[in-house]
Amino acid sequence: MRTVFYRWIGPAIWIIGLGVPLVLGPNWISILSIFSIYAVVALSQDIVLGRAGMFDMGHAVYFGVGAYTTAILNTVYGWPILWTMVPAVVLAALVGGLLAAPIVKLRGDYLLVATIGISQIFHLVMVNNVAGMTGGPDGIFGIGVPSIFGYQIVSQSGLFLVGWLLLGVVLLLMNNLENSRLGRVFRYLKEDELAATTLGVNARYYKIVAFALGAGVAGSAGTLLASQLAVVSPGAFVFTESVTLFAIVLVGGQASIPGVLLGTVLMFVVPQVFRELAQYRYFVFGIAMIVVMVIRPQGIWPRRRRIE
Amino acid sequence: MSEFAQQLVNGLTVGGIYALIALGYTMVYGILKLINFAHGDLCVLGAFIGLTVITSMGGATGSPAAWVVGLAFVVAIVAISCAGALLEFAAYRPLRNAHRLSAVVSALGASMMIENGIMLIWSPQTLVFPQGILPSKSWHIAGVVITFTQLLIIVVSFVLMAALYLYVNRTRFGTAIRAAAIDQDAARLMGINVNRVIVSVFILGPALGAIGGLFIGLYYRQAVFNMGWTYGLNAFIAAIIGGIGNIPGAMLGGLLLGLFNALAAGYISSTWQQAITFGLLIAILLIRPSGILGERVAEKV
Repeated sequence: MRTVFYRWIGPAIWIIGLGVPLVLGPNWISILSIFSIYAVVALSQDIVLGRAGMFDMGHAVYFGVGAYTTAILNTVYGWPILWTMVPAVVLAALVGGLLAAPIVKLRGDYLLVATIGISQIFHLVMVNNVAGMTGGPDGIFGIGVPSIFGYQIVSQSGLFLVGWLLLGVVLLLMNNLENSRLGRVFRYLKEDELAATTLGVNARYYKIVAFALGAGVAGSAGTLLASQLAVVSPGAFVFTESVTLFAIVLVGGQASIPGVLLGTVLMFVVPQVFRELAQYRYFVFGIAMIVVMVIRPQGIWPRRRRIE
Repeated sequence: MSEFAQQLVNGLTVGGIYALIALGYTMVYGILKLINFAHGDLCVLGAFIGLTVITSMGGATGSPAAWVVGLAFVVAIVAISCAGALLEFAAYRPLRNAHRLSAVVSALGASMMIENGIMLIWSPQTLVFPQGILPSKSWHIAGVVITFTQLLIIVVSFVLMAALYLYVNRTRFGTAIRAAAIDQDAARLMGINVNRVIVSVFILGPALGAIGGLFIGLYYRQAVFNMGWTYGLNAFIAAIIGGIGNIPGAMLGGLLLGLFNALAAGYISSTWQQAITFGLLIAILLIRPSGILGERVAEKV
């Protein structure tokens, strides 16, 4: 069942998704654009949290690094949006790796608390406009749209397709990670770090790799968010966003691609649909998070154990 | 010199509040190994309930009678203790044997729910604590100003900390709390009702937290629905500084963090004060994750 899902049903849904702009109205298209961006971030959070098993509660930081990189390169230096994705990914991965290097030795809750600290410091650095480049509390305005072969993608459908394409690439990456040596190392580290070390796995190195990989993927989504919203401000990367990403992975199901996507729908798409009820959002989420955890502590759509 | 002494007094006041809140985090963590993310929001809820009692008893104008302020504290303490026990029953107890991250998510959910609930019931705006709830008396001693509010906070928090310390160390039930924190199974085998201990911790912690939350409102004279994170995180850092799970550690950590914050804001930079605090947190986690008074725990294999 599981193999069938990944081999056929998953790609089929993705291909059908390409036709969304033809069928649905502009409102839905922009909702799905936001979905693909946040799905990429949630999957990147899953690399660190669900696959490598590290309690990272500051993941919005790397998302933010990517978005700010794009915003600054585009508005100040006039780089085309899609080109900025390269430095956004590289810089986010670098920041992820460098910040992780000293703290990955911390276990469980201590790592969680350290990443909360990082997320708070990042927010303050952006708000206080360090180096005069981040625009302070208001952020950076007037970010352009992507262009392909000189053709500017201004329409919402175009932006949606770019996001959907990125999501496809990341899903492919996640699928490969699932079956690759790296993915197995992450899983091993998560299940039993000591046993992995005795078999010669360099735990510290692979933990930093997991952080850098997750951060890089989050950075790519940051580029698209900057372009989609045309504005980047510290408010989009606050601690609450990190908490939401953390919750998506656990509510959906750790290391489960359909679970994480479902989690993203619940936490980011549902509130977009019920916008007029925005003030109740976290009240409902809070109760939902408790209820889901009590009923299904392993998440709504958990990863199936495969006999290997 | 007098400025330094002034910062010391301010730091001690805030530190006392942090310590009261930190105790709730540390007692829960000591027994359940769970970061109760909802604790900060419970404290804020206490501040809002207290404020409502004071204003509805005529405290919005003029100064209310002392018994009105006392009543506000009592109502807040009772309400928040009940909320704490209810939270334990509904959100944490069913997850006691689940993976610990499930309980963390449940705690985060509870925090979001309470925070949003405060906003829905009261207001998304900052509420102001009216002037004159407490006497505006102040004393000048060698160039240092101590207000009545500061004195009250320092004295009450020290008395409460001493009382809790004695309770935990000198009474039978306090011994049961400590035993459950060391080894739940062994405590159960000794005939300790661990469930009762856990519930009691979820009553004691929020009760102290409600006092802390109301002190925050009275000291800064304002309350906003989402301030639970800020004060909660600070109190949590205090608990880590002292050694998470360690009750005297939380008291010491709270006072030290209050002093550290006041001095950092006064002498280094007030815009960067929070960043400095979190920098300190990360440094402590890296150098001595067990905190000042925490014992180094041998890793279980």
